[in-house]
Amino acid sequence: MADLMTHGAILIIAIPLLAAFLTPLVGMASQKARNILVVVSLLFVVVLVFALARDISINGIHVYTLGATAPEVTTPGNFIVPVRIILEVDGMSMLMAMLWSIVSLAAAIFSFSHIANETGQNRFYTLLLLMVTGGFGMMFTGDLFNLFVFLEIASISGAALIAYRTKFADTQEGGFKYIVVSAIASLMVLFAIGLLYAQYNLLNIGALAEVIQYTTVDKIALALLLIAFTIKAGMVPLHLWFPDAYSVAPASITGMLVITSHACMYAAFRVCFSLYGNMLDAPVVGWILIVFGLLSMFVGVTMAIFQKDVMRFMSYHAISQLGYMWVGVGVGLAVLGNAELLATYGRDAMSGGIFHILNHAMYKPLLFFTGGALFHMTGTRDLSKMGGLAHKMKWTAILYIIGTLSISGIPPLNGFSSKILIYESVYQFNAILTITGIVVSILTLASFTKAFHSAFMGAELPEYGKVTEVPKSMIIGMAILAAGIVFITLFPSLVVDRAIQPAADALINQGAYIDAITGAIP
Amino acid sequence: MTAILESGYAFWNPIIWIIVFIVVGIMVYFFRRQGQKEYKKDTDQTQIFLCGEEVPEAGERHIRVGNIYWGFFETLKEYYTQVLKIHTGIINDYILWFVGAMALSVIILLVAGLG
Repeated sequence: MADLMTHGAILIIAIPLLAAFLTPLVGMASQKARNILVVVSLLFVVVLVFALARDISINGIHVYTLGATAPEVTTPGNFIVPVRIILEVDGMSMLMAMLWSIVSLAAAIFSFSHIANETGQNRFYTLLLLMVTGGFGMMFTGDLFNLFVFLEIASISGAALIAYRTKFADTQEGGFKYIVVSAIASLMVLFAIGLLYAQYNLLNIGALAEVIQYTTVDKIALALLLIAFTIKAGMVPLHLWFPDAYSVAPASITGMLVITSHACMYAAFRVCFSLYGNMLDAPVVGWILIVFGLLSMFVGVTMAIFQKDVMRFMSYHAISQLGYMWVGVGVGLAVLGNAELLATYGRDAMSGGIFHILNHAMYKPLLFFTGGALFHMTGTRDLSKMGGLAHKMKWTAILYIIGTLSISGIPPLNGFSSKILIYESVYQFNAILTITGIVVSILTLASFTKAFHSAFMGAELPEYGKVTEVPKSMIIGMAILAAGIVFITLFPSLVVDRAIQPAADALINQGAYIDAITGAIP
Repeated sequence: MTAILESGYAFWNPIIWIIVFIVVGIMVYFFRRQGQKEYKKDTDQTQIFLCGEEVPEAGERHIRVGNIYWGFFETLKEYYTQVLKIHTGIINDYILWFVGAMALSVIILLVAGLG
């Protein structure tokens, strides 16, 4: 077990990668065996992730150096700086990995029936597992260049998966837009990494953080990194590609893409807190995050309420919810240099924002899955053509209600727990933030009520006489996420104490992140 | 207690809410059970009554998504006109926004650094 934990970080990346290449081989022999391989590998990753999370909560940050004599040796004997590929896993990385592992598993199970009638399923699961690899890599990597590499893996596989259903023209357009935006964002990330490397001859985040000077070039690199991750996360006004791409992908993939947006948000937080940290002009950068967050919250929800396409509707809501996270963490960043304000409300605001990432990772994929279930059974994403479906799709309707109540922040659901943390803490920073958050929550409930009425309520429509409930695997995929919502709803304090606050502290405590790299020099 | 979340200013306990929901649910069920039971199933008594008018077909009487919140959209017509303008669907425009936001961020960070 100790060995498994020592190599846990790399195994979590390697297992889905290996499974990705095995999938087409096994798939040629048997589809059932391929599906079992996908589920077993992802299930094993879930177990590993939770075991590693427990280990990190006890023993602190894990460092894993590839190719070293021992995984914890970050710097080769005749070097003075770390040069190898290093994974650095702390509380924040683990939180992201936990939600990514659960959503990936749920999405894979949901996919079995959702894409059952499509061709090229072997390629679908290969790409899905590659995207899982890319996501874990982004969350675990300790160096900037590998962050770029894993971002590329996640983006390219994501674009291919968006365009997977080639029979629909809009999927090709969505995939094209996604790959163009991703490629340009990745190039900007690479350019920024080049700027930093040119000055410091370093790529490792911890080692760079120790020497970074916040020169003019560093500021330009920060802007490049921040805006590149902002467009990839889908923040307003850089969100325009988001609904075009996310609404046309298979619903299971859309659920996963939401978490890749979280991963890009995580990368932005990692750059701000762990790389630049106290060198940063924290109030200015914090306010940049807050402004993006506020715009996303308001424009996202007002655009969502306007939509008639159920998946575009869900996509705009995802943008709106991402805003809460940026506001919460942005407030924490804005007061990072002021220990008193950080202790008074900054840490709570960050905890609220990070807690909302976790909650959003449960209810948003669930809602996307319910949207996919509606499309799967009715053949349309147009809400104006739907109605009365609760008569035929009872489980989908119930799961939709759970997701709706959660996203709208209705007590006692988990969405309320994170929103109350955000509201009460950011109020002390600026009351407008809380007021906007509450207004956006009301509009969220209003728009989800509208969509629920349009799709599920009313008498049975004759054109959907033959509609039935979705297949079991789709129900199971949705139920996994609903179970996550129920668990967080019942035990908010357990989740905050064990996962959220350690994640917030991991971001705040830049010294520990640096020490894990530099302190390990033999 | 793992259920009680301290927000720093107050506390939040979902279990209390769940208990309240269960109690209210039992009360609603109890009151509902007191209702009229002698109606005749599958007769006109259970059909929709619309002041004597003919009841439209299911598809015609379902209020579609485009008709909901008409007043909200009418009030915010000017806002939507402006916001929809930027949603062109053209990838070139998306990248222009990206370049603009990046340039603005660089300027803000550099100007803030001067102070």
